[in-house]
Amino acid sequence: MAPPILTIRPLATLTPPSTTRAWSSTPHPTLPLLATASSDKTVRIYSLASYTLHSTVAGGHKRSVRACAWKPGAESGGGESVLATGSFDASAGIWRRAVRRSSGGGGGGGGVGVGEDEVEEEGLDAGDEDDDEWRYSVVLDGHESEIKGIAWSAGGTYLATCSRDKSVWVWEELPGEEDNFETVAVLQEHEGDVKCVVWHPEEELLASASYDDTVRLYREDLDDWTCVGILEGHEATVWCVDFEGSDGAGLGSERDEELSEQQRSWLKDRKEAGPRLVSCSDDMTTRVWRRVPKQGQDFKPGKDKMPNIIRSDNVQENWIEEARLPKRHDRAIYTVQWSKRTGRLVSTGSDGKIVVYEERWKTDHSTSTNGTANAANGGNNVEVDGPNEDSVPKFTEWFVVDELEGAHDVYEVNHVCWSRRWDNKKRSIDEEIIISTGDDGEVKAWSLD
Amino acid sequence: MEEELKDNANPTILQLSDLPSRRRDEPSKKRDAARAMLFEDLVPSYPDPFSSGLPSPTSSEEDAKVYPSDDVEEIDEQEIYDLIAHVSDPEHPLTLGQLAVVNLPDISIQSSAAPSKSRITTARVLLTPTISHCSLATVIGLGVRVRLEQALPPRFRVDVRIKEGTHSTADAVNKQLGDKERVAAALENRNLMGVIGKMLEGCT
Repeated sequence: MAPPILTIRPLATLTPPSTTRAWSSTPHPTLPLLATASSDKTVRIYSLASYTLHSTVAGGHKRSVRACAWKPGAESGGGESVLATGSFDASAGIWRRAVRRSSGGGGGGGGVGVGEDEVEEEGLDAGDEDDDEWRYSVVLDGHESEIKGIAWSAGGTYLATCSRDKSVWVWEELPGEEDNFETVAVLQEHEGDVKCVVWHPEEELLASASYDDTVRLYREDLDDWTCVGILEGHEATVWCVDFEGSDGAGLGSERDEELSEQQRSWLKDRKEAGPRLVSCSDDMTTRVWRRVPKQGQDFKPGKDKMPNIIRSDNVQENWIEEARLPKRHDRAIYTVQWSKRTGRLVSTGSDGKIVVYEERWKTDHSTSTNGTANAANGGNNVEVDGPNEDSVPKFTEWFVVDELEGAHDVYEVNHVCWSRRWDNKKRSIDEEIIISTGDDGEVKAWSLD
Repeated sequence: MEEELKDNANPTILQLSDLPSRRRDEPSKKRDAARAMLFEDLVPSYPDPFSSGLPSPTSSEEDAKVYPSDDVEEIDEQEIYDLIAHVSDPEHPLTLGQLAVVNLPDISIQSSAAPSKSRITTARVLLTPTISHCSLATVIGLGVRVRLEQALPPRFRVDVRIKEGTHSTADAVNKQLGDKERVAAALENRNLMGVIGKMLEGCT
């Protein structure tokens, strides 16, 4: 079965755009809303049903808003949407706004069910002017300099922020005490700016990417948050890191009869290892990392550079570089995002390109050049993976599905992400689109068909 | 006394007349010349590094062929030089051109490898700090980058770096200057922008 040929096509430019650089856009997990962080100190909330401005989050930050994050599941409780913002003014903000539904579906748990779609869209359009304001409910102070990334854990329990001050902070909203946040950890493992934080889709495992060229992983161990892993190999600033979806979509299931036994066992192993990580860098590479499962074997936690050597070994995780994506960017890669639905990857960067990648089964294990082609580009850092690399046969390889030059005319593209499609021309209930955010202040939606 | 506090109290200075320029009108020439006079006797004469002719403008010709209507006037290395040569040094009343921090042969312009698809052009500037431990190298580099980003059309990507072997912490400075997010944050820092604004006062 030949893979389908897909093309990135322009769908809409969201209006009105920001007049200055827009940094990043984050789709709401269950509603047709998109939050765009802008250097004009505001966040624009666009409707993904109409691709127009829905509301503006303004008046809280004194400098660029660099990133924002929707609190998952917030609507199911109090019926309010909750947005966290991170700014160059060194503060993070928590904003609230009522999002009404036109029919009595308020207690529905904010699910992704088919029947709820219409209700949610209508509810958004029928807002009363009086309640249209975003309330700045909490300011989270603590970082010493610009906040660059912000992320909620999957269940909404924790909020992580990262900054040029080299630290990652983990905050927890005290249960039953709305708007009362406690600092549960200040992680100072990185030797440079921390550019991005992201949570594992199901575990309370946090990853951060840094100016010091590494990615670090943290989790709570005996009431204490600690660094449990370090991903080394990039040769320049790591701009972004993202986790794979929890079910590892894309290549089918280990019960799929059409796959070979080897392929099924590979899928089983991968499922055991859990979601992978992808990282992109100023070194113009995008790399996929895989956790080495611990059971049995002479698992060696940490390398020479591993901090906290006193730590018990049992929380340490060993992650290895599994693959490099085909090299398509010729300047810094600012963002890579993993589609939780299709397993595809999308990346963008200073060269203004959007590239979509897909993982496919290798057709022939002995002759295929997976990895080696990229290693040729990457030069002399084969040692990254060590002996593990050779002992793991590669069953898949990454292909470029499509690439688009000049997505934002001649401007740099700072961010790209996947979103569910919400406009009324959508072809299926779970169709996915790509959202890009550029230096021209524009946010664009792209279909893949 | 003040001079002693500076990183390099006695830098080498080029004669204004020796600097490569295409500009006829030089608004800041008189003022700069007067200032340069103060140091004139202190420094040995400096051989004109540009007497052998200017670098060939091949890249700009290619540029012009591919995008005849894109810009009224194509931009070449000399024009980039003219844009930044008049940026003043943060600690000397002299321009980066006079101090030979910016030099025409260290400016290059590169069009996209696939010009039919991408109109992006890279302008690369290598800076030569007056001394190898100059603590202001980052600020100077930032000033140059800001100047070019403000003056050049958006299709330009500006890469400002320290010339190899001319600075003790070149790698660290280069990494900062190449970091878009850090540069953006610096532009929102009022104190730093005050310094940069002063450096750019002489630019027209």
